[in-house]
Amino acid sequence: MTPVVQMQGVTKVYRSGSGSRTVEVHALRGVDLTIGAGEYVALMGPSGSGKSTLMHIIGLLDSPTEGEYSLGGEPVRGLGEAQLARVRNQRVGFVFQAFFLLPRLTALHNVALPLVYRGVPVAERLKRAKKALESVGLGDRLDHLPSELSGGQKQRVAIARALVQEPDLLLADEPTGNLDSKSSDEIMALFDALHRQGKTIVVVTHEPDVGARAQRIVRLRDGKVAEGSMA
Amino acid sequence: MNPAKNASQSPPQASLSGMNPLENFRMAFESLWGNKLRSFLALLGIVIGVFAVTAMISLGQMATAGITQDLEAVAGRSIFVQPNFNEGQDFSSAPIREEDLQALQALPVTVIPQLFTSIQYESKPGERRSMQLQGTPGDLPRLDPTNKIARGRYFTDLEARGGLAVAVLSDRAAKDLFPGREAVGQVARLYYPGGARIDLTVVGVLEPPSGIFGGYGSSATVYAPIQLIWNTSPTARRGEYAFVILPLKKGADAQQVTRQVQRIFESRYGKGKYQVQSTESFQGTLRSVTLILQALLGAIAGLSLLVGGIGIMNIMLVSVTERTREIGLRKALGATSGQIRQQFLIEAVVLTLVGGLLGVLLAAGLLLLITATVPFFKVYILSPTTVFLALAVSALVGLFFGVWPAARAAALDPIEALRYE
Repeated sequence: MTPVVQMQGVTKVYRSGSGSRTVEVHALRGVDLTIGAGEYVALMGPSGSGKSTLMHIIGLLDSPTEGEYSLGGEPVRGLGEAQLARVRNQRVGFVFQAFFLLPRLTALHNVALPLVYRGVPVAERLKRAKKALESVGLGDRLDHLPSELSGGQKQRVAIARALVQEPDLLLADEPTGNLDSKSSDEIMALFDALHRQGKTIVVVTHEPDVGARAQRIVRLRDGKVAEGSMA
Repeated sequence: MNPAKNASQSPPQASLSGMNPLENFRMAFESLWGNKLRSFLALLGIVIGVFAVTAMISLGQMATAGITQDLEAVAGRSIFVQPNFNEGQDFSSAPIREEDLQALQALPVTVIPQLFTSIQYESKPGERRSMQLQGTPGDLPRLDPTNKIARGRYFTDLEARGGLAVAVLSDRAAKDLFPGREAVGQVARLYYPGGARIDLTVVGVLEPPSGIFGGYGSSATVYAPIQLIWNTSPTARRGEYAFVILPLKKGADAQQVTRQVQRIFESRYGKGKYQVQSTESFQGTLRSVTLILQALLGAIAGLSLLVGGIGIMNIMLVSVTERTREIGLRKALGATSGQIRQQFLIEAVVLTLVGGLLGVLLAAGLLLLITATVPFFKVYILSPTTVFLALAVSALVGLFFGVWPAARAAALDPIEALRYE
């Protein structure tokens, strides 16, 4: 089966300044990484290890300086801005530490948002959003605004928003970073359940107990995969 | 990488057209509605600008209509012929003669020859004042309906031909000659500048002319039979007239008949001896004056639209900065830069369109109020063209001043945008 994430020799160099004063930062120094369908992977490493950069490249928010990357079997090299947006919309479901729900939209409309950019008609969009919210146990909070929800509920809305895309990959960046321990447990239990349903999940975290829930831990150090690059 | 080329290769599902256009308008309304006070303040400039432009254009049209109506009430659709005094000749050097009138009879006009002379009356014992004595044919109100009898009657054709000592007074003349008394039935005692006296029996008084030209027509004038003036005046010569009014018959083309009249006088006396004018040529002059005024005021009003547009740009820039994280999120969820640009452009256009709509409504209200209260503005004019133009201009202002903020929003890097605090 085609791996969801396949990376070979991915580097990322940030340049700042100009001329002789150019400063180069090597965030990634040749990353090989394969994540198969249905895997639950934790991406860990100290700050400055390059895990955020790697996450951005996996999520198509950034592109590698060198190396090959295929997402869901589709090579991303040479894709334009609009095409990257399309692939992102269809293959990647983001879950952020700070939830990033639009404050003036109800839970239902927040969840339906990614489908707007796919041209799904309103009725169909809301139907799918409702189903996604029900699947995370928020069927009774459809018309609530984010301000009327608890932290754990907000993150579940965000997860529903990722699920509604039916993505190849659920990409969560410190999903429990803003939550108390009880809510964290809830969210981690939800990820476990999604994993059992066969979803492919990558969680970026620095918390050992969050990482411990995953099937496999990929550790980054100094822009390289120190451990767990292959299943 | 060529984003434009790549975008065109992507399947239609992901292209801009994949998004329902109404979607963008709905989103724009939602976002503007969420910030009601700010949105309202931002579009105030547009409201005022569109209001000013719309009101200016419509008031100009209403003024033109008002002036045209007033002019028609005073002068009808008429052609006027009088000797040209420009070359410093004496009043009687180029009179209009009986033969000229005969030639004019062939045209689709009523021929009303007139005669003017100065006359005096005794306001107090020993003190004389001047007014105008005007010789006309009998039954003038029938020939030229812009003259209306207020009291009494006009002298008849028979009385006029007989040169009887009868007179009709203008409203002013009646008040001057017989202050506080009914003029009809009185005898007006008048003196020619040389001293010769005539006593005329007043048979009627005319209505004062209406509208803004009322002042122009409300001179103190005594109307008497032409025959009588020829018989009594020391200066007037029999068979010669000073002025001809030619009210056009129904369906006659003013310009064409004016040229025909000009040709008749030119063929008889040569170029430049007589002045031939029509009420339509006055109207044309008035129209061009109003048009210039309208353009001037419109330009000033347009400036306020410019200021309003800059206000929109400012608020859109603020909005883009404030919503940096929203933009980052939308991009992460799969919005293309084009879709983000479109969202903010449409927001700016919706903002200015709503402002334009409010401005037009305000202008419509003001125009209604003015029509109801200012007598000069008789008709209410707010043409669909004006409304369409006002709305189109406000949409264009939104588009123009929305381009830069929208481009800034579209250019945001999603990673940076999501990190923005």
